[in-house]
Amino acid sequence: MQYPEPIAKLIDSYMKLPGIGGKTATRLAFYTIDMDGDDVTEFAKALIAAKRDLHFCSICGNITENDPCDICRDKSRDQSTVLVVEEAKDVMAMEKIKEYNGLYHVLHGVLSPIDGKGPEDINIASLLKRLQQNDGIHEVIIATNATPEGEATAMYISRLVKPAGIKVTRLAHGLSVGSDIQYADEMTLFKAVEGRQEM
Amino acid sequence: MYLENLTLHNFRNYADLDVTFDRGVNVLLGQNAQGKTNLLEAIYVLALTRSHRTANDRELIRWQHQTALLKGRLHRATGSVPLELTLGKRGKRAKVNHLEQAKLSQYVGQLNVIVFAPEDLSIVKGAPSIRRRFMDMEFGQMSPKYLYNLSQYRAILKQRNLYLRQLSRHQVKDKVYLGVLSDQLAAFGAEIIHKRLELLGQLEQWAQGVHSEITQQQEQLTFHYVTQVPTEDQTSVDHLYETLQKLYAQQEAKEIFQGTTLIGPHRDDLQFSVNGKNVQTFGSQGQQRTTALSVKLAEIDLMKAETGEYPVLLLDDVLSELDADRQTHLLTAIQDKVQTFLTTPSLDGVARQLINAPKVFNVNHGILHEEEPH
Repeated sequence: MQYPEPIAKLIDSYMKLPGIGGKTATRLAFYTIDMDGDDVTEFAKALIAAKRDLHFCSICGNITENDPCDICRDKSRDQSTVLVVEEAKDVMAMEKIKEYNGLYHVLHGVLSPIDGKGPEDINIASLLKRLQQNDGIHEVIIATNATPEGEATAMYISRLVKPAGIKVTRLAHGLSVGSDIQYADEMTLFKAVEGRQEM
Repeated sequence: MYLENLTLHNFRNYADLDVTFDRGVNVLLGQNAQGKTNLLEAIYVLALTRSHRTANDRELIRWQHQTALLKGRLHRATGSVPLELTLGKRGKRAKVNHLEQAKLSQYVGQLNVIVFAPEDLSIVKGAPSIRRRFMDMEFGQMSPKYLYNLSQYRAILKQRNLYLRQLSRHQVKDKVYLGVLSDQLAAFGAEIIHKRLELLGQLEQWAQGVHSEITQQQEQLTFHYVTQVPTEDQTSVDHLYETLQKLYAQQEAKEIFQGTTLIGPHRDDLQFSVNGKNVQTFGSQGQQRTTALSVKLAEIDLMKAETGEYPVLLLDDVLSELDADRQTHLLTAIQDKVQTFLTTPSLDGVARQLINAPKVFNVNHGILHEEEPH
């Protein structure tokens, strides 16, 4: 016997989410049926609102309700530095430390021909445009991940930006805070030795 | 180091096996398809968590069973530790001294092994890829940094080859990104070439000693690392990096035209010469075998020099491939130094006389019987 159409559709919809297979989707679908009517309406509204009300900021590429985003509009922030990250999630991670007070730029990916991402496919052109139109930016901090692709992207951006006389910096590699040296993996340790600093 | 004992549960054709080994030579005697090589494989898997015969771990688990268990007690100069490895549907779990290891890379390197199988004789006359694989396997066991550089190099090489192909088809135009990939490749490539040159230099010294002994000082073996990058004895990593960068810049048009990376350690080769002549092209069968044997024996000594202990040697059916003279050299070289496991359909001739009190096991359908000492 087949599931009635509404529930079959719901299962199919849940399965479109990452990390959710047939069994989990079925469990979620049946749970949804048992849910309070108001809660379900709330849930559906949240889904639609998230899609409808969120945009990418036309300046930095971060997700936002208003365009330009709150960070780009905040004049109290340091307008002379831009921190470049791979994903919008990374902006939230940086904001949590409450120490960085400059601006951001979200690339939405890294250069990786294998995944079909070339220089035109990520948000680099808008970064360059931003730097060209705004003399006030003196430093670009590149905070892409420490993967070969993240490194390549960092090097690529630095090559385009540096000739214009803008300072380009990269996040440090090394030991995580509060960790024991004995538990660090060999390459992290090696990078930490390589990037040591004079005291 | 040596393996004191081994317990297998549902590994290949072994349902339950519990066996104690000799610290010298252990001979596995038996007809074909009884499980001789499976036992060597078990020791290899216990050491490196993967097989040298298959990439599919499912094949290692006994037919119609879910998990395989391998346990062994490893004796080292500093004491003995139990090793345990479980292979299952959900992956592998490794324990050292009863403590589970979060990363398999922390487990690998506890037990060092060297395999010598008939295929290894083709290291001299086979394709360059066999020699590159040989270098990567051996040097990777000795240096975690080499292993890391190699994996990064391979990842970047894949991206760069694809990008070159896109450039050659005019799907993309950006040469700046190509320059970035070239620099990254040059950085890791330089590290790899540098480490290869360093370790090959050491391996060569050990191999020369062995080789000259086997040939009664008649022949001199030399290694030559074949690469497009001009190298001298004391080439630094930085110098290699700059040279590679220059080569990539010079060859750019050609690489784009062909749509693939033409320069780097993935294209290099290792050449063996005897008395100045290339063994691959001018050497006799015998010379090629002697060279392969010298290189393998040198590996044992290099491993000892790099890690501080002799590895465990696995000889898979190689005695039959070597003549009496070479068998003698092989067996005297390992005698009383290296714990050795050798598989053979029959033990007679030189081998029987030479091996000092071997422990002989008859392998029959996944069951081992220890032979009474003569």
